[in-house]
Amino acid sequence: MPVVSLPYKYLERLCGIDRKTIIDHLPMIGSDIERILEDQVDVEFFPSRVDLYSTEGVARAMRGFLELETGEEVYPVSPSSITFSVDENLKEVRPYIGSAVIRDIQLDNEAIISLMGVQEALHWVVGRGRAKVAIGVHDLDKVTPPFRYYGAPVSRSFVPLDYDREMTLTEIMEEHPKGRDYSHIVKDKPVMPLIEDANGNVLSFPPIINGELTRVTESSKNLLLDVTGTDERAVMTALKVLCTTLITAGGRCESVTVNGVVMPDLSPTLRNIDVTSCNKLLGTSFSADEIATILKKMRYGAEKSGAFTVSVRIPCYRADIMHEWDVYEDVAIGAGFGTLEAELPATFATGCEHPIIALASAVRDICSGLGYLEVMPFTLSNEEVMYTRMQREPDPKALHVLHPISEEQTLVRTDLLPLLLDLLRMNKRRELPQRIFHTGDVVSSMQTYQKLALASTHPGADFSEAYATTDALMRELGISYMPAESADPAFIPGRAVDIMVDGKNTGVFGEIHPGVLNQFDIDQPVIGIEIDLHLLFPGQKETKS
Amino acid sequence: MQLTLNEKRLLLELVKTETTTPEEMGTILDRPADSVVQYGGLLSQKGLAQVDRAVTTTLTLTEEGTQYLKEGLPERQLYDSFSESASIADLNTHPHAKIGLGWMKRLGWVKIEAGNVIKTGDPAPSPIELALKNPDAAPADIKKDLLKRGLVTEEESVRYTITITDEGKKLAAAGITLTQETGTLTADQISSGAWKDLSLRRYDITKHPRPVWPGKIHPYQRMIDEMRRILLDMGFTELHGSIIQGAFWNFDALFQPQDHPAREMQDTFHLAGKQELPVGWEKVRDMHESGGETSSTGWGGKWDPEKAKATVLRTHTTSLSIQHLAAHPEPPVKAFCIGRVYRREAIDPTHLPEFEQLEGIVMDTHVNFRNLLGYLKEFYGRMGFESVRFRPGYFPYTEPSVEPEVYIEGLGWVELGGAGIFREEVTAPWGITCPVLAWGLGVSRVAMLRMGLTDLRELYQSDIDWVRNVPVVQGGRC
Repeated sequence: MPVVSLPYKYLERLCGIDRKTIIDHLPMIGSDIERILEDQVDVEFFPSRVDLYSTEGVARAMRGFLELETGEEVYPVSPSSITFSVDENLKEVRPYIGSAVIRDIQLDNEAIISLMGVQEALHWVVGRGRAKVAIGVHDLDKVTPPFRYYGAPVSRSFVPLDYDREMTLTEIMEEHPKGRDYSHIVKDKPVMPLIEDANGNVLSFPPIINGELTRVTESSKNLLLDVTGTDERAVMTALKVLCTTLITAGGRCESVTVNGVVMPDLSPTLRNIDVTSCNKLLGTSFSADEIATILKKMRYGAEKSGAFTVSVRIPCYRADIMHEWDVYEDVAIGAGFGTLEAELPATFATGCEHPIIALASAVRDICSGLGYLEVMPFTLSNEEVMYTRMQREPDPKALHVLHPISEEQTLVRTDLLPLLLDLLRMNKRRELPQRIFHTGDVVSSMQTYQKLALASTHPGADFSEAYATTDALMRELGISYMPAESADPAFIPGRAVDIMVDGKNTGVFGEIHPGVLNQFDIDQPVIGIEIDLHLLFPGQKETKS
Repeated sequence: MQLTLNEKRLLLELVKTETTTPEEMGTILDRPADSVVQYGGLLSQKGLAQVDRAVTTTLTLTEEGTQYLKEGLPERQLYDSFSESASIADLNTHPHAKIGLGWMKRLGWVKIEAGNVIKTGDPAPSPIELALKNPDAAPADIKKDLLKRGLVTEEESVRYTITITDEGKKLAAAGITLTQETGTLTADQISSGAWKDLSLRRYDITKHPRPVWPGKIHPYQRMIDEMRRILLDMGFTELHGSIIQGAFWNFDALFQPQDHPAREMQDTFHLAGKQELPVGWEKVRDMHESGGETSSTGWGGKWDPEKAKATVLRTHTTSLSIQHLAAHPEPPVKAFCIGRVYRREAIDPTHLPEFEQLEGIVMDTHVNFRNLLGYLKEFYGRMGFESVRFRPGYFPYTEPSVEPEVYIEGLGWVELGGAGIFREEVTAPWGITCPVLAWGLGVSRVAMLRMGLTDLRELYQSDIDWVRNVPVVQGGRC
């Protein structure tokens, strides 16, 4: 989630209230305070609330929440003659562009930092790392309209931000730091997105870098915004958030005509809220008037439009309002979560254990009764532990993770015994005897099922202990079995038994092969038992994914 | 007063001799002297005897010392090797010249003039020479010389004397019967009734036993079982399911947009293979694209069924909750699941790629947001977190959403899990018309708080000693 830095001075100026009150109330509008510093507070806002990624946006919300100023802000857009043409050759590359002009703005250093902050957050959250949306802010007075958004060849050159020489688009992608970060988005496209003015000056090479020519400074008065992307709705969301932020910062918005479409549209969206269903969902009994008042605190436009309806104007920057319940949530937040009394409902239902978990509990009782200590190893493992050290062939049904994060975790375990041996290795300096067990999920092909494994190590651990323990285990599980000589290479030949139930091999026990012990770096004899619980209890079908 | 047979025997002998040594008494009692000291010690603990310990040092001649006792000290041998005087050069040929000359001078037997050693008269035996014959009798400074010259070694010896006290005499006078004591009872002694005539030895209860380590259920599993019990008590049905899920159930059915970064290989473990989409998947598609038949706008754009077929390790147990709801769309439903979930995170003390999550859902005709808060309060209360408060939260599949915080002494308010009402975009495709309250909780996080762990790995790669030493009942809770 994006972390927004809010400088106290600017925040206090915009809110008109002291920092302590603001900080105290921030969590209750929906945020996590990351850290409180000497001259700023760093706050994490929810990814849905893109309108709170600027000091201006937070101030707007806070003034409403503290009832210093309620209801909607109105965002007038005056017409301008500035136009943009969008070239057909971007259709498969980056077809959408949104634009607007902001006039007569005075950007001090804090406002510029806030503007850069909101751009970064929008790039990340709405723009998915600029792939979906990228934003450019330009000093309008350095260039001449009309503007053109088109697909240029990589040989085109201009002076990018932070450089003092012309570079070709290829050079920018290879050498400029932003080029290295973002070139993957466009480098395989047939043409590169480019924004030029009437005289062929380059404003921007979206989504990578702006031109040095239109750099925004404290002396910039008039701004041109460009928002390009692959998703029209996301492009417009970012444009609206930017425009309303800059209007709150003191600017005047003028429209831009893009291929004949006048934008931005900063008008609110209308919704009629049903008071009854709102109260039903929240468990409240607000009147239509009360809901309207609360929503105004949350900076909506809202009036009672009937005994049980409230007509709501949703500000254009509230991209998160997709459904009526999103408005209901704001009713709860505006009313204050602290005012909502917790209450258990009368829903009647009887509790019921899942049979697989119930069986696992019984198995744990049996094993602990046999003197075994439970361990809970990871379910992700690797070929080395699972098969190589066990002297076993890799299981073709093992599921491999496509992009493992380390060599330790490359597949989902198919057996439990190797993990017990690995734990004995980690605990080799602890007092003997050590007897440990685990029961839990393994995965074979796409199926999850349950196994049980036990291991015991001490100088006298031998086949007869393994046999006696398995025998007790099977007796307690209520299953009769037949021993059959096992060829499992993880065990000493002649000291390993396959546990046959109704002619099916359901598990194995015996003395672990010294070669295996060497590979696990274990010095004492170990006996091991592993049982397929789903084969013993066929009533418990494999859980299909 | 209870005395062992040996204590009684010693006490009775002490009555005769008043004071004795362990050696003497050992002979009488036919026991090693060490044992007699032990019996005396036991008597003295009861005030019946007094044991005095005297430490003496004994000097014993070394091999060298023994040789010099026979042949004379180096200075004596050197002195006897010449008559009135001799040149230093001549004396230096003698094997003891080096040590002998120094000592002769120090003792005043000779003087040195112009390179010649001249005898001063007939020398009396030196104190060291005398001491060699009986080192223990020598004065302290001479003993030091003997030790320094390596002629003797010093040995400490402890001598005990045991004396009966008045208390002991009184007890003995009152009469003591000597019967054989029995340690381990045999089956014969029990069944035959012979035990009635036995004196069963009393054991020393101050000695700690060797530790015994019982088999037991892992402390983390016990905590999971405690949570299960709470939810079962509250009338919830337990869910269990595959750790392998299709992206459809893990993400799409939960209204996670298809371009959400959490779905990518970067954050989620992907596996090879495709999962078939379930019957009714089109409604989920419509929900994403346009909000279906609800008041939602949906995410817009195109929803790609191929993306939904990807196979992943479940990132939350919510994938099981929604499948359970889809199979049981009629109210009421109260279900929970505690299961392992996977996130593609590098291992460090507070992050693991796999951990447990708890999730509870309640679906019923009239349940509402305040009821959700009620369930949270009830559940956390039963877990021992008395104070709970609520803050707004955000989760992609709930609306409204809430972040519960619990108060923990020493830590303050700690965020513990998340909750909300399933969005209509999540429930509507399956014909669910009632609200679904849902909450989730990182179980391993609670374990860290409860057990005071600083490293999550301790739960999964446990030190056996840690598991052995965590009590089953802690602070009255089990």
